[in-house]
Amino acid sequence: MEVIEKKQDGICILTLSGRLDANSSEEFREKILQIIEDGAKKVILDCENLNYISSAGLRVVLEATKEIKRHEGKIMLCALQDYIKEVFEVAKFDAFLPIGGSVEGALKEF
Amino acid sequence: MTNHPLPYVGSQAESERILLVDDNPTNLQVLFQTLEGRGYNLLVAKDGETALTIVKKALPELILLDIMMPGIDGYEVCRRLKNDPTTKEIPIIFLSALGETKDKVRGLDLGAVDYISKPFQAEEVIARVNTHITIYRLRREVQAQKDALERELEVVAKVQYDLLPKRLPEIKGMKLSAYYQTSRYAGGDYYDIIELPDERWGFMVADAEGHSTPAAVRMAMTCALLRGYPGAASDPGKVLKDLNRTLCEVVGMSFITAIFAVYDGRDNSLRIVKAGHMDPLLYRPSKGETVEIPCEGTYAMGIEQYDEVPVTETRLQSGDRLLFYTDGLTEQFNPEGEMYGLERLCRQLSKDRGDSPKEILDAIVDDAERFAKGLPADDDQALLLCVVE
Repeated sequence: MEVIEKKQDGICILTLSGRLDANSSEEFREKILQIIEDGAKKVILDCENLNYISSAGLRVVLEATKEIKRHEGKIMLCALQDYIKEVFEVAKFDAFLPIGGSVEGALKEF
Repeated sequence: MTNHPLPYVGSQAESERILLVDDNPTNLQVLFQTLEGRGYNLLVAKDGETALTIVKKALPELILLDIMMPGIDGYEVCRRLKNDPTTKEIPIIFLSALGETKDKVRGLDLGAVDYISKPFQAEEVIARVNTHITIYRLRREVQAQKDALERELEVVAKVQYDLLPKRLPEIKGMKLSAYYQTSRYAGGDYYDIIELPDERWGFMVADAEGHSTPAAVRMAMTCALLRGYPGAASDPGKVLKDLNRTLCEVVGMSFITAIFAVYDGRDNSLRIVKAGHMDPLLYRPSKGETVEIPCEGTYAMGIEQYDEVPVTETRLQSGDRLLFYTDGLTEQFNPEGEMYGLERLCRQLSKDRGDSPKEILDAIVDDAERFAKGLPADDDQALLLCVVE
């Protein structure tokens, strides 16, 4: 999986592409937790090119969501492919973080 | 030097064996004297043929191999050793005359790890041999640790299989079958059937996130909480809520998805709760197709306490096939990167195969295996199929 980080209007946008699974989740976990530790309070995960997420990937998203909440910040998941959206819906993760809007919408909402 | 039939020289049984191969007796002697008394067992061969025989018998930890030799030359010895699974891991250092860059490259291409130039410099020989013996020792250590870890995982997996129902219960008016496969020794999937008062039964299928021991521990925890549930576990919403309360305290940064259904044999009713899990599948002969039973459910267990767990009620009919499953099956990939998926599973469940749940499950598992074309599963798979008589 590839992660590209960019900053826009004080919002951290992480563009994910490829597979977020057991093989890539640990690296992504370290990266996003570091970003949160460095003080990012508004994080957008742009998932337009994310093709697959496993339960290990879900766990990392969940951990990051909890962690950023502790710092009074927020993560928004954007532009999910249908399959990935379904995975998050089955997991009922919409109870913890906003899922499925566009990146533009999320930028305005923050 | 020696003409001992098995050309062992030196006495330390535990020390590494190094085979020195050179057709030139002077070279052989220089190498021998350079490495003597440094804690290695030194073996010698004067030609390629002898070298191959000694390697097969003694399996040395390192070979110093001359290139130009009458008969089988060093390249050929190397090629043969690299083609033999029992000897291909033995590191080979080529001995080559100075300046013959082509020879060195060719040797490295054949799988040699290094080369030493002639005429030999004692310090260089010692340094390179020590380096490769150190690498060898580290590799052996890593391998030993890996073996120990795998043995441990196998033990965990065995304990885990022991937690599953030894045999499925006889339920009046219903036939059952289950399938369980962990992806790499221990896993996080779990299925269970518990008997409840008044012809009622509880069906559980759960999936602890992650693999190996941590997932297995969470799976065992879920099993213990369900089997040790105080009183009758006949209120599915309350069961899930209670299980989740304890799991939230012990799970840490992970989760367990689950589906739990209470079946009442008196009126064929089914009350289903689910936590971050896939909906159960239902094949109804009169409809001729398989559909998901849409259950609202809640998020996975172990994350946060539940306020309320929505319960979905439905009633089974004669001939119904009800399947609870974990995503290890639907997320089985093939070499082309495609996923087995829900549609294929539904198609298989809808096929006319009589009413033996075992045969239906076997056909589903076979179909997924054919689809995977030998690609191993990333995740555990648990399936529990109920066929209503």
